[in-house]
Amino acid sequence: MSRKLSVLFLAMLVLAGAMGLKTVVAGHNDGTVMMANGGAPVPPNPWKVKKYGGAPVAPLSWKVGK
Amino acid sequence: MPGPFEYSIWIICTLLELGVVVCALARHSFRRYFTLNLYMTASFVTSVGRYAVLARNGLTSDEYTYFYYYSDAILTICLYFALMGLYSIVFEELGAGTYVRAFSMLLLAGTALFSYGVIHQSENRMVTHYVVEMSQNLYFVGLVLTYVLWGAVLKLRETRARVIQFVLSLGVYFSLYAANYALGNIYPNLGYIWMYLPPLISTLLPIAWCYAFLRFTEDARLAPARLAVIPR
Repeated sequence: MSRKLSVLFLAMLVLAGAMGLKTVVAGHNDGTVMMANGGAPVPPNPWKVKKYGGAPVAPLSWKVGK
Repeated sequence: MPGPFEYSIWIICTLLELGVVVCALARHSFRRYFTLNLYMTASFVTSVGRYAVLARNGLTSDEYTYFYYYSDAILTICLYFALMGLYSIVFEELGAGTYVRAFSMLLLAGTALFSYGVIHQSENRMVTHYVVEMSQNLYFVGLVLTYVLWGAVLKLRETRARVIQFVLSLGVYFSLYAANYALGNIYPNLGYIWMYLPPLISTLLPIAWCYAFLRFTEDARLAPARLAVIPR
C-alpha cells in the first residue's frame, strides 16, 4: 500500500515541479507556444495572431491608478 | 513559405529520423528500444505528412495549422513513452517495471486532467486549446523526468553506454528547447534567432541516437568514474 502511495506522491510531485518550471520559463509569455518535435516549419500561432482584433490594447486599470 | 534553409534542415532532420530506425534495425536493437524507435518512426511519418499538407495547402492554411499542432501533440506523447521506456530499462534490474508503468500512466492522466483544468473555460475552442496545452505541459513533465532519470542513472551507477547516451541527449534536447522558449519570451525582439534555432535543435536528438546505435554495442560500458562519484 505504501509503495502505491509513494508512486502516486512521486507522480504528483513531478507534475507540480513541471508546472512550476513551466510558469517560470513562460513568465513573460505573450501567447507563443513551444513546438518541439521535428524540423517542419511552424505555422503562425492561431492564438497570437488577430487576438481580440487589431485595436491598440488599453492600459490595465489596476496599473494606471498606481 | 519556408525558404531553402528551412527545407534543408527539415529534410536533414527527416532523413536522420529514418536513419535512427535503420541503425536500430541494423544493430538488432529495434525491439530492445522499441519506444525510442516508435517515436522516431512517428516523427518520420509526421514529417512526410506535414510536407504533404504543406505542399497542398500552404504554411498559413488552417489544414496545415491543425495538422501541425495535432501531430505535435501525438509526437510529444510518443516522446513521453520513449522516456518511460528508458525508465523501464534503467529500473529493470530492480524489478520495478510495474511501478514505472503505474507511475507513467498516473503522470500522464494527471497532466491530461491538469491541462483540462487550465483551459476548461474556453469551451468554444476547447479541443484546439486542449491539444496545445496538453502538449506543452507534457513537454515540461518530460523535461523534469529526464533530469530525475539522470539522477537515477548516477545514483544506480548505470554504466550502459547506450542508455547513458540516450538519457543525456534527451536532457540536452529538452533543455535547449526550454532555454530557447524562455529566451524567446524574455527577448522577443530577437525573434529571428528563436525562430531558426528550433529546427536546428531538432536535428540533435536523431544525430545523438544514430551515434549511440552505431558507436556503442549493447554490451558497451562506461567506467562509473567517468560519470560522477556519488556515495551510495
